Amino acid sequence: MSAAGVCRLPICRGSDMAVLRPSSESELAEMVRAAAADRHTLEIMGSGSKRAMGRPTDADDCLDLSALRGIRSYDAEELVVTAASATPLREIAAELAQHRQCLGFDPADFGPLFGSAAQSGTIGGALAADVSGTRRILHGAAREHLLGLRAVNGWGNVYKAGGKVVKNVTGFDISKLMCGSLGILGPMSEVTLRLLPRPTHSACFAVRDLEPEAGLHLLRRIWREPLEASGLLYLPKIILEYFDLGGNAEAGIVLLRVEGSDEALKDKRLRLRALLEGLRVEDLAQGDALLATAANGSVFAPSPHDVWRLAVPPSAAREVAAALVGTLWYADWAGGLFWIATSGDALSAAAGLERICARAQGQLQLLRADEHQRRRFAARPSSGDGVLQLMRTVKSAFDPLALFNPGRLYEGL
Amino acid sequence: MQLAPPDPSILARRDRIIADLKSLLPGAIIHEPAGLATYDSDALSAYRQKPLACALPASKEEVSALLAYAAKERIPVVPRGAGTSLSGGALPRPDGIVIGLARMNRILEIDLENRCAVVEPGVTNLAVTRAVEADGFYYAPDPSSQVACTIGGNVAENSGGLHCLKYGITTNNLLGVELALPGGERVRLGGKAPALGGLDLLGIVTGSEGLLGIAVEATLRLRPRPPVTRTLLVAFPTVAQAGRCVAAIIGEGIIAAAMEFMDRRAADAVESYCAPGYPEDAEAILIIELDGVDGEVRDGLARIEHIAKTCGASVVRLAANEAERARIWAGRKAAFAATGKIAPDMLCMDGTIPRRALADMLDAIAAMSARYGLAFCNVFHAGDGNLHPLIMFDAMRDGELERAEAFGAEILTLCVKMGGVLSGEHGIGVEKRDLMGAMFDAEDLAQQERLKCAIDPERLFNPDKVFPTLSACVEQGHMHVSGGRLPFANLPRF
Ligand SMILES: Cc1cc2nc3c(=O)[nH]c(=O)nc-3n(C[C@H](O)[C@H](O)[C@H](O)COP(=O)(O)OP(=O)(O)OC[C@H]3O[C@@H](n4cnc5c(N)ncnc54)[C@H](O)[C@@H]3O)c2cc1C
Repeated sequence: MSAAGVCRLPICRGSDMAVLRPSSESELAEMVRAAAADRHTLEIMGSGSKRAMGRPTDADDCLDLSALRGIRSYDAEELVVTAASATPLREIAAELAQHRQCLGFDPADFGPLFGSAAQSGTIGGALAADVSGTRRILHGAAREHLLGLRAVNGWGNVYKAGGKVVKNVTGFDISKLMCGSLGILGPMSEVTLRLLPRPTHSACFAVRDLEPEAGLHLLRRIWREPLEASGLLYLPKIILEYFDLGGNAEAGIVLLRVEGSDEALKDKRLRLRALLEGLRVEDLAQGDALLATAANGSVFAPSPHDVWRLAVPPSAAREVAAALVGTLWYADWAGGLFWIATSGDALSAAAGLERICARAQGQLQLLRADEHQRRRFAARPSSGDGVLQLMRTVKSAFDPLALFNPGRLYEGL
Repeated sequence: MQLAPPDPSILARRDRIIADLKSLLPGAIIHEPAGLATYDSDALSAYRQKPLACALPASKEEVSALLAYAAKERIPVVPRGAGTSLSGGALPRPDGIVIGLARMNRILEIDLENRCAVVEPGVTNLAVTRAVEADGFYYAPDPSSQVACTIGGNVAENSGGLHCLKYGITTNNLLGVELALPGGERVRLGGKAPALGGLDLLGIVTGSEGLLGIAVEATLRLRPRPPVTRTLLVAFPTVAQAGRCVAAIIGEGIIAAAMEFMDRRAADAVESYCAPGYPEDAEAILIIELDGVDGEVRDGLARIEHIAKTCGASVVRLAANEAERARIWAGRKAAFAATGKIAPDMLCMDGTIPRRALADMLDAIAAMSARYGLAFCNVFHAGDGNLHPLIMFDAMRDGELERAEAFGAEILTLCVKMGGVLSGEHGIGVEKRDLMGAMFDAEDLAQQERLKCAIDPERLFNPDKVFPTLSACVEQGHMHVSGGRLPFANLPRF
């Protein structure tokens, strides 16, 4: 077992956290057992690229999983990959690309938003933080793609859940719980994911000069068409200077992407042309990169703003946009996701955003702010105290001593 | 299979419980033996058991009232939709109340702006699509039982269907549920807004087979109907060729809407049942459907035809029109009923294997059939490797049910050995409960049971289902005992 030492990672600088760095799953389990015996709480870390995202945790020790890496098996014909949980995403993506395949949840790269290097995240972190990208409207979130896993619970026992085949309803679907959990149920050691063939062709368009109401309406209109759009975003005028779009803008812009075979795209273009009749439509050559910038939130990377995400039913988008006049924002997921940047005191911004969120029956997330503010922002699940209580109950079934990432998800959880 | 014996203290209180229930839900309690006969089994009819009573609530408030009463009196409850479960998920207990949700069958809201519908749990699967198809939408999960089965049952079993290859199973098409917990409290999980992390309680409830709560409302994702749908019928001289063809199509990156397999026996049974006009003399038939925009479908069809021929297909036939397409599907959907005609009894198995193992698996099943002396046929969702071998037997003959069950268990165990799983879409229920150990070790099962115990410590919700052990939650303090030793013997208990 690698000896516990003081943290030398740049992110730990100044803290006196001990770092535990297991080199195998059994070592991981042993370390958790020891931590349980000593009642030492643990901050679980892949590469640390999203350590500054959301609520901070105050753990005694750092459980650094970075040595648990490597693709364990990749079966291109079955479209299934199994990897150690801290395998870098870029390593997986590179391997899949060789077989013209990709991860179905189109993981966004939040690293730069939090001051880490681009492409530095791990697969386990991407799942635990559910960094589903722009294609979520077509292929779903991380939860849709995690088939099975191995993990260590708060007793220090290794267990597995799910399976390695694409269709499985055997036992409780624990894989779902892990996606978005931010590690509070314990460290995963290995994950199995289903994959998608990479679309051979892709076409992106910009529809210019649309005020928010018209732009957001157009997103929903296209979303309701059988076009399988894999990108549906709206950028209001106020945000355009943050994006590299060229041209001079009167008003906001809708960005949209369709994908498929060459033949499929010909048809989709035809249908789109009919739908967009009379609007100012342009082909976007660098569309994929542009959409990635939006999904990653990296337009805000160099800015000093606090960054929020607000998820709402797409039909509420218009009302949200109206309430956000004067604020920096843009919308992804056909109007179901708002990226919002505020300056000044995050907590007073929070009060306003929470009101908007409540009216739209949405969910608000403070992604980036200074640590103090993130600690004080009381994140909450969207649907009330009963749900929070149920989450506590579920947490206790995995981590009765509350060892893992205390407070990382919500206060006390 | 052993079910826990009924609690004599509940049976002794039977008359009072029924009187209480009647005053709680007047006109909605069934307790006479004749009436209870309807509820004594589901579609796994080898097991039958009359419940103490059956309650038919008409609202979520009534469900909560029943659950509060059941918790107070410590009476087991068994939720039930349409009773089409093939794994015995809705099998009653003699000391338990069946809560039948079929009366809660209203579609509450159709919200096309957000591409979703909000429904009560007793709405049938097909009714959802019927309600939105005029607007060009549909609900994608389409179990073959869709005329009858309910959304609540679909949520509980995480049901699939013929088209889940491309559009996913229930969990991928469910946006939210309102769940009534043990004790009757209700919580809303998920909803119309996309989730931004948090614990995915909706995900864990879906497929929990009625062990964690009762779904009293569901919000379902609707999809726009693709403009073009085309269906291919492909026949092969050998099963192995069909298996290779399936793997090649998937490996080529073509995402078909559906890819279904029938072996010779199944095709013959169906032919004499409803004459769909399948090619004769084929050992294996594939039904492959593509949907999407025109160019995409045309392109896919051409590629599939090429692959099929390369794999040795003897017939590749494209349905020329909607009537022909419907006939091809009618045959597949009747496979169950048709097999039922040629055998007195039948067990429908449901394992998943990696797609490449199909041909080996089919050989192995044929060998088992000879060994057990029982006929079988194979229909399955080939695209996702989800097998449904149908084992034919005669329950009136001494020992045949046991033999059929042993045959089925051997198939499922082999699925796991080949890297697959025990159930692709029918759930574990009582049927596969005792096989869970083939796939999960004690730690794996203990973790799942802890979740169950945390939410339902009295184990009143659908007891006897899914988990092989009968240990009480409290005895272990949610702890797994291995070799008689408690982990962390030095830690205080909580
Ligand atoms: C001919 C036939 C074909 C089939 N084809 C398919 C298929 O293609 N794909 C597939 O996946 N399945 C298939 N099935 C299986 C079955 O139809 C599904 O499992 C279906 O979802 C069960 O729904 P139900 O309403 O009949 O539920 P039931 O059988 O009544 O109950 C099933 C389980 O759900 C629980 N339950 C029911 N309602 C609720 C609720 N509201 N809240 C919580 N728990 C609840 C019950 O306790 C039980 O455990 C088929 C069955 C038959 C008979």
